[in-house]
Amino acid sequence: MRKGLWYGLLFTAPAILGFVIFTLGPMIASLVLSLTDFNVFKDQTSFVGFSNYARLFSGEDELFYQSLGVTFYFVILRVPAVIIISFAIALLLNMNVKGRSIFRTIIYLPSIVPAIASAMIWMWLMNPDLGLLNSMLSWLHLPTSNWLYAEGSVIPSVVLTTLWGIGSTVIIFLAGLSGIPQSYYEAIEVDGGGWYSKLRQITIPMVTPTLFFNTIMTIIGSFQVFNEAYILTQGGPNNRSLFYVFYLWRTGFRDTEMGYASALAWILFIIIMVFTYIIFRTSKSWVYYEGGERP
Amino acid sequence: MKRQKKSVLVLVALVLVFVTVMTACGKPGANSDSSSPSGSSGEAGSKENITLRMTVWGSPEEVAAYKFGIKRFEEKFPNIKVDLQHIAADYDTKLTTMVAGNDVPDIAMMESASIAFPLAEQGKFYNLQEFLDKDEFINVDSLVPNIIYSLEPGNVIGIGPGPESFGLFYNEDIFKDAGIEPPPSKLSEAWTWDEFIEVAKKLTVDSKGRTADDPNFDPKNIKQYGVSVSTWWGVYSNFIYSNGGDFVSEDGKSFALNQPAAVEALQKISDMMNVHHVSPSPVQAKNIPATNVALQTKKVAMAIDGQWATAGLAQSNFNFNVGVMPVLKEPVTTVVCGMFSMFKSTKHPEEAWELMKALIDPEASIEMITSGTWMPSYKNWYTDSDMLAKWTENLDARPSGYNDAIVEVILTKGHQTPTGYVKNFNKIMDIVNPALDKVWLGQQTAQEAMDSIAAKAQEQVQGRRDIK
Repeated sequence: MRKGLWYGLLFTAPAILGFVIFTLGPMIASLVLSLTDFNVFKDQTSFVGFSNYARLFSGEDELFYQSLGVTFYFVILRVPAVIIISFAIALLLNMNVKGRSIFRTIIYLPSIVPAIASAMIWMWLMNPDLGLLNSMLSWLHLPTSNWLYAEGSVIPSVVLTTLWGIGSTVIIFLAGLSGIPQSYYEAIEVDGGGWYSKLRQITIPMVTPTLFFNTIMTIIGSFQVFNEAYILTQGGPNNRSLFYVFYLWRTGFRDTEMGYASALAWILFIIIMVFTYIIFRTSKSWVYYEGGERP
Repeated sequence: MKRQKKSVLVLVALVLVFVTVMTACGKPGANSDSSSPSGSSGEAGSKENITLRMTVWGSPEEVAAYKFGIKRFEEKFPNIKVDLQHIAADYDTKLTTMVAGNDVPDIAMMESASIAFPLAEQGKFYNLQEFLDKDEFINVDSLVPNIIYSLEPGNVIGIGPGPESFGLFYNEDIFKDAGIEPPPSKLSEAWTWDEFIEVAKKLTVDSKGRTADDPNFDPKNIKQYGVSVSTWWGVYSNFIYSNGGDFVSEDGKSFALNQPAAVEALQKISDMMNVHHVSPSPVQAKNIPATNVALQTKKVAMAIDGQWATAGLAQSNFNFNVGVMPVLKEPVTTVVCGMFSMFKSTKHPEEAWELMKALIDPEASIEMITSGTWMPSYKNWYTDSDMLAKWTENLDARPSGYNDAIVEVILTKGHQTPTGYVKNFNKIMDIVNPALDKVWLGQQTAQEAMDSIAAKAQEQVQGRRDIK
């Protein structure tokens, strides 16, 4: 038994060390830094207590609220979209049709395209005058949009670009779906139920643990949206896509106010913690574990 | 795509750790040099072997020019080795990290709009004034005006290689076909704004062949724009200055983009897009390729751009030329360029100065200059006709209007880039740019937009660097 423990520690050491050195350590460091006026270029750094946090909440920094609002809007739009669409795609891919593995590959393919490359493609697609999207819309005699370049449409457009990369969420749903025993469906068939009953009574309840996991991961990922602002919009137009992490990065690296940026990072951490906690608390009432209550 | 930025700070710390590890064990060469009791007092001739570290960004051609300059330098000073570090992407982030890790180079290429001044404010750079004062070969007067960056008067933090000014580039064939006189190249004949708009209207053509001064002109389907003007401050600053305006007031105390002179210039640019429809709006501009392609494919007839555009134009096979920009009140060009700065921590300031000089020397970067990307930094390359001929005659990148429209103008009508003298420029522009977005789209007048943010911008105004 003792030997087993040592082996266990040995084999998990890379992950544990990696976490402690590259995640936990820097997190503690940033917590400490958030209480200082640390500026990379300044030789003197002094403790300023909670004044970085006070500055955030005093209303003095309007961009903080702007970025918070933009990011919440993004999360509210993106999370349901990702969950519903990837679940629907997973259901389709789970059907026993010819060429299933090819479809699965195609759905996952965009996830391995480098972020910059896919962003460039989206910029072309969403080009207001020459882009494919507007060309298609005007061909169908539908109103066109300025997509990424107008204040009102920039966030929905960014959400659209991120939906391209939902392959990994789909894969996790697929894993959940394939874990459902066939016998349950057979039981429904015996009782004379159709596809809706199967979906409603079997598939959805059985897949709730996966749904739970995917929802949390999507929320976390959405709050941390950065690449899209960095590559596609630079936070514009009129700061309407100034995502929180983009603003944090700009504060820390362009303006070199690392102390303040650390405070920003911790606020985001707390926000994500709160959301995760809420979902965990509510999970009891909607997540179904086959083996009874969650241990 | 979404998982890689778990927390930016994790990344920061990671890089920091790496840098410290690297500095601890990574460069014994540099350490052994600096431990020897040398340097600061010594003549450049002191014969011990030293290594100078230098960081630059830039295209492969630019790096090749630096390497060429360094080779010449190393031949002249055989005891000095130059370790050139080319940081192709995220230069500022990388340099910031190097500063945090106390592992800075001796010389760094810097950009006035980003971290150069924040670093200088913390005393990280050598005051190059002392070198300029005693150097026999180069001094303030031997350099092209406006390429010296100062933290405050008398404290020079950087000297630019390859100055750049702005001009009005055009496709000669479009003018010939339309039977319109092309833009003048001589300052004395420069167009007024109204003349400029008139010509631009005649050269803006919709898909049915009607020009912008036709009452039936369809601004939704424009095939050829009269002129492209970018909404980058580098470009519109030309017209603010030309109209007698500025970003901050002369005493540096107040925000000035909401003042009549600046507002008028901004409004005129907005009107080109939204009233006269002779210039692509920011949204339409997404379809306009780089100046050389845009002119060649006749998407635009004229383009206001930096003189670096000549490098691309020289390689495009069509008849291009350059004229002087239209004048509002005074003829002006904004002068932009990067800079070389010397970190105070260098152990070999004299040698670093020699290296800096060697790189600023137009002979070293002659390829960059003749190809069109740069202009020389030394004034005598403009005033001495033999020297001038070296980089302006019989070259694809130097059309017939070049000497009058660019060379003459940068020498006599240059204005320093706002990033060089407006303190806290980035923070001011963080407030100004979102408001300007609305002006460019024609949703607000320049006056409304600038007034709406004037109070907020004023809070960020911290003065000017060119006055005490």
